[in-house]
Amino acid sequence: MNPGVPAVSVFLAVLATAVPWGLPADATFAPPLIVMTMIFCWRALPGTVFPSYLALLLGLLTDMLSGGPLGFWAMMALIAANAGGRAPSPGDAQARNRLWLFWGCVAASIGLLAWLLGSLYVVQFIDAWPIAFGVGVSILLFPVVLRGVAWIKRGRLKAGIYRGFT
Amino acid sequence: MRGGHSPFRPRPRRSWRAPGELLNFALIFVCLVFLVLSRIGHSLTDVSDSFLDLSAPVLQATSAPVVMARHGVARVKSYVGSFNEIDRLREENAKLKQWEWRAKLAERKVVQLRALLNAADEPALHFATGNVIADGRGPFLQSALINLGRDHGIRIGYAVINGEGLIGRTVDAGDQFARVLLINDRSSRVPVLAGKAGVRGIASGDNSAELTLDFIPDGAVLHEGDDVYTSGSDGVLPRGLRVGLVTGSPGAYKVRPHADLGALDTVSVLFFDTPELVRTDPPAVPPDRALSASPADPKGPDTIPTASTDQPKETGSIKQADTSVAGPAANVVQTQQ
Repeated sequence: MNPGVPAVSVFLAVLATAVPWGLPADATFAPPLIVMTMIFCWRALPGTVFPSYLALLLGLLTDMLSGGPLGFWAMMALIAANAGGRAPSPGDAQARNRLWLFWGCVAASIGLLAWLLGSLYVVQFIDAWPIAFGVGVSILLFPVVLRGVAWIKRGRLKAGIYRGFT
Repeated sequence: MRGGHSPFRPRPRRSWRAPGELLNFALIFVCLVFLVLSRIGHSLTDVSDSFLDLSAPVLQATSAPVVMARHGVARVKSYVGSFNEIDRLREENAKLKQWEWRAKLAERKVVQLRALLNAADEPALHFATGNVIADGRGPFLQSALINLGRDHGIRIGYAVINGEGLIGRTVDAGDQFARVLLINDRSSRVPVLAGKAGVRGIASGDNSAELTLDFIPDGAVLHEGDDVYTSGSDGVLPRGLRVGLVTGSPGAYKVRPHADLGALDTVSVLFFDTPELVRTDPPAVPPDRALSASPADPKGPDTIPTASTDQPKETGSIKQADTSVAGPAANVVQTQQ
């Protein structure tokens, strides 16, 4: 599969992270982690191409839009992409549950690393609650994101857009 | 799954591929380098500012439907609770009429007293109004991007308010956008006055919804609900901007901001420059008689750049400000973009 479709879908998701949704302060970590979930899903789905450098670029874009230090979300995106490449294939329902569990472990690791890296960056322990909340939301929404990514992969989005124009 | 094209079809397991793994390590190393450069404030990280300046129209277009949807939801909510709201507003209006009368009396008295004391007028402030186009809140920074930049006269360090009170100050300014550091950011420190006695303190952000009130004098008495407003003692923010209300108990006072920092929409940037002192005394010896020749300044001494004289490049309609945003001491006569 052409990497253009995954790249565009993740790019739109990154743009959505910058939109002023009016989320409470505790939920600010959730949108970027959902982007990480998307990257993971694209890499985990068989037959898709999502190169690591693309994950890096989209992570850097997330960093720029969030105003945080360059490289933070880029590193998280790389970790998510690599974990997705090593994840079990989501063949049947049981395998999908295994993948969900796998993402749970990866998200928890990303959250822990984000907390450590963030604390190291500001030389002070940062509040862990927004990170934990974001990790929880990304784990809960994993099946939805996986379905959405699979839906895009099947070409339904493209077909819908095409129908809209004709 | 249609036509056997299941996206969940098992894929062949890949063996360890050295070039790919090396590339991953190299990319992670690049991220670490970026992080270090960001930490030391290297100029390479300024690329993101240029990028944001270019992408500001895209961000504005992306956020427009969301902002409209939020307005729609707010309108529906207001319709749902409109009857109770009308009753509450009638009651409040009756109280405010009494306050209006008292305020007019007090204002007249203040004018008379100022005239008696020959008190100097505070400089008027101009402002530009714009919208939040991107939410930049995260573990490192509590910020927002607004669609006003240097082209509109914005400079770094200007105070940013909304209808409810102070929300932050500008920390980056491109041609078309500016980044506002919110008052609840970890690195934000706002010198404030609290309560009727005007107790001095510093409202410090810690990335949470409330600010910590630090450096208040020993024995200072504050009560829950006391008003907190800027003292202006830092020379960066004008005096008298509403910040929030005192909460918490002695020893652990907090400030709950008036502004909802999670749902910012329309904001105003105050053109308040740090007061600058210039030498205005006439020279003791005329320059032509001085022993060492000094370059003559045909214009004479510079005027003191104040907010009232420093006009933005691009001015819009001039509008009287809603002075309820400003606190008791602010004299805000402003320009709306």
